[in-house]
Amino acid sequence: MDYILMGIGAVFTGPDLFTLGGFGIPAAPAMLFLGLLTGIAVGATPGLAGPMAMAVSLPILISIFGVRTEALLPVFGFLIGIMKGATVGGAVPAILFNIPGTPDAFMTTLDGHPMTKRGMPKRALKVAHLSSVSGDTLSDIALFVCAPFLAVLVERFLDLPEKTALILLSLTFIAAVMGSSVGKGLIAIALGMLASMVATGQDFHPRLALGLDALSHGFPMVSAVLGVLILGEIFWTLDDHWRGAKAGKGPIAAATDGPDGLRPGDVRRIVPHILRSSFIGTVIGALPGVGSTLAATLGYTLGRKVHAKKKTPEQADFGDGAPEGIAATEAANSAVSGANLIPVLSLGIPGNAAAVFLILAADSIGGFNPGPGVFNFTYPQVNPELVIAFGIFTLMALGNLLNWTIGGVLMRAMGVMSRVPIRYLLPVVLLVTLTAIYVQDPRLGALWTAFGFGVLGYLFRCLRIPHLPFVIAFILSGSLENTARQAFSATGGDPFFLFSSWVSTCFVALAILTVFLAGRAPGEGRG
Amino acid sequence: MRRVNADVALGLAVLVVALLALLVWVPADTGSGIVERIRGQYRIGDAMGPSVAFGLLALAGVVLMVESMGKKAAARPRASLGQGQLSFLLIVFVIFFVSLLAMRWIGPAVAGLLTDTGYRPLRASLPWKYLGYVGGGMLMVGSLISLAERRITLRAFAIGFVGALVLAMLYDLPFDDFLLPPNGDL
Repeated sequence: MDYILMGIGAVFTGPDLFTLGGFGIPAAPAMLFLGLLTGIAVGATPGLAGPMAMAVSLPILISIFGVRTEALLPVFGFLIGIMKGATVGGAVPAILFNIPGTPDAFMTTLDGHPMTKRGMPKRALKVAHLSSVSGDTLSDIALFVCAPFLAVLVERFLDLPEKTALILLSLTFIAAVMGSSVGKGLIAIALGMLASMVATGQDFHPRLALGLDALSHGFPMVSAVLGVLILGEIFWTLDDHWRGAKAGKGPIAAATDGPDGLRPGDVRRIVPHILRSSFIGTVIGALPGVGSTLAATLGYTLGRKVHAKKKTPEQADFGDGAPEGIAATEAANSAVSGANLIPVLSLGIPGNAAAVFLILAADSIGGFNPGPGVFNFTYPQVNPELVIAFGIFTLMALGNLLNWTIGGVLMRAMGVMSRVPIRYLLPVVLLVTLTAIYVQDPRLGALWTAFGFGVLGYLFRCLRIPHLPFVIAFILSGSLENTARQAFSATGGDPFFLFSSWVSTCFVALAILTVFLAGRAPGEGRG
Repeated sequence: MRRVNADVALGLAVLVVALLALLVWVPADTGSGIVERIRGQYRIGDAMGPSVAFGLLALAGVVLMVESMGKKAAARPRASLGQGQLSFLLIVFVIFFVSLLAMRWIGPAVAGLLTDTGYRPLRASLPWKYLGYVGGGMLMVGSLISLAERRITLRAFAIGFVGALVLAMLYDLPFDDFLLPPNGDL
């Protein structure tokens, strides 16, 4: 309880961002609000996504707040704000213009746009907002409860060999569930590990640097991650435009079907769908690497079956503009975002792109290492990492509160962003990204490194190799190698240290089984 | 059928590269072996990580070949690497190269023509510190918009100019210690 209060205190009594009427405005909540605004705007813009905004803003935030412990909560506040805002904003172009800004928003177009065509855009947006924020809130509650318990269990029962085996299992699981082929997932993992190993290690010789001076310091993480995730996506989308493959915007019909806005009984009708889909999204989100697209698809499919059985004749079917369809989709894909942080905070393993940037922020600033060690309830000595963890939970709860109160208004106001042509926007985003990289690493060489990784990200997309496993392996590779080195030494140089206990043996067996037996999720080709 | 063959070829290429790296590159370009003995104790050496990673890459190649042989051709022709993709990459590379070249040299070139001091003493003052960024940024944004639209228009470069100028001011005006490209290199 003391730690919870200290976490809340750290958020509200941290450094001031500015003073207003003589009162200091604490940086963390203010940055959360700014992040939420940015996230909703980005989510509402087709072609942009939350991780893109997180990627661009992270180097700038670090340059503003510096690399000291006090910077952690304001930086996390902004990133969490973007994450939450983008979750809500993603429904806007899907509903208003039939443009799924992200793959998981495709299901929202199925019922959202028909409602817009029938003159009920505001009603559709309100249902989407209510469902999205509910799903996100329920998922966050699951995170607050599960992450500390899981971390305590891991810390108590897993020693170094088990932790090594667990990271291996996570990587193979991510390789198996992302993309269209286990083999391609493994290629991404192996290449990510190799890229992070260049010029690292314990010997004076910079390994795998080919004797080149340019490689003798390795690849900077920011350039590599932003290159693959952001530049790769920009090149891929520009290529689509170059080929003229993108379809134009769908028109908004002016026909009306009764007054717009929520109607009596709407909330009662969508609540069961919200609860069911939130559960699905939370369970799927807790598994590293399984994206929100699968959650949205499962939530929608299950919701459609239930709706077909229970609906009255005057209610619309799923696909014809049923508010329940929007609720089932939005609650499921939003519930993924909070639960995705369960493996991050309890195990230090990022499960999606947003989590990658939270880990990157923690890694760049220092003083907070996401993983089981965070939830070490020491007394009377204070564990500062645990205070930060409860500060993060406070920020997430505050983000939900903002989303509940003003998120809907902001979401509807951002409808205008959906009209910005993506072919004009993406080159500017490229310039923003390059500038953000340069701010953190002021060398033109860093821009060339980012470009090189951008080309790699583009090639991954061409060959349908999932790009997120590459990034996750790049981040986790250092931990995997260090843990393996320590485990090997601790077991007295036992070459079979991964089989030194039944738990680690199980993890290794599961990793092998995952590779050879994992079922493929269709339609996840874009990583 | 073409798609299946492409994946088999990719798997085979990955397998060959991984085996060559395991046998040639890793032993030649790492400072310590897979396992080393220091003061009577065995430790994991620097070659272990790359060996495991290339081993995984070799396994990935085999798995991909096995998967591709057992599957029917994918329906999505867009997901491939051919002349179109390579042409696009070449154009993007040229745009990037020329834009960064412009970004690097516009400021020094103009300063060399108009002043006796050169660019370096002026790089922190207006308008000099924006010259390279705005010039190179305009070229990059305008060229990429033109590429996406398949036609070169004044509008594309106007968007590039305004976008780069607004970004320069957004980064530079509120934050004193931010360096815009290329001023950190000069």
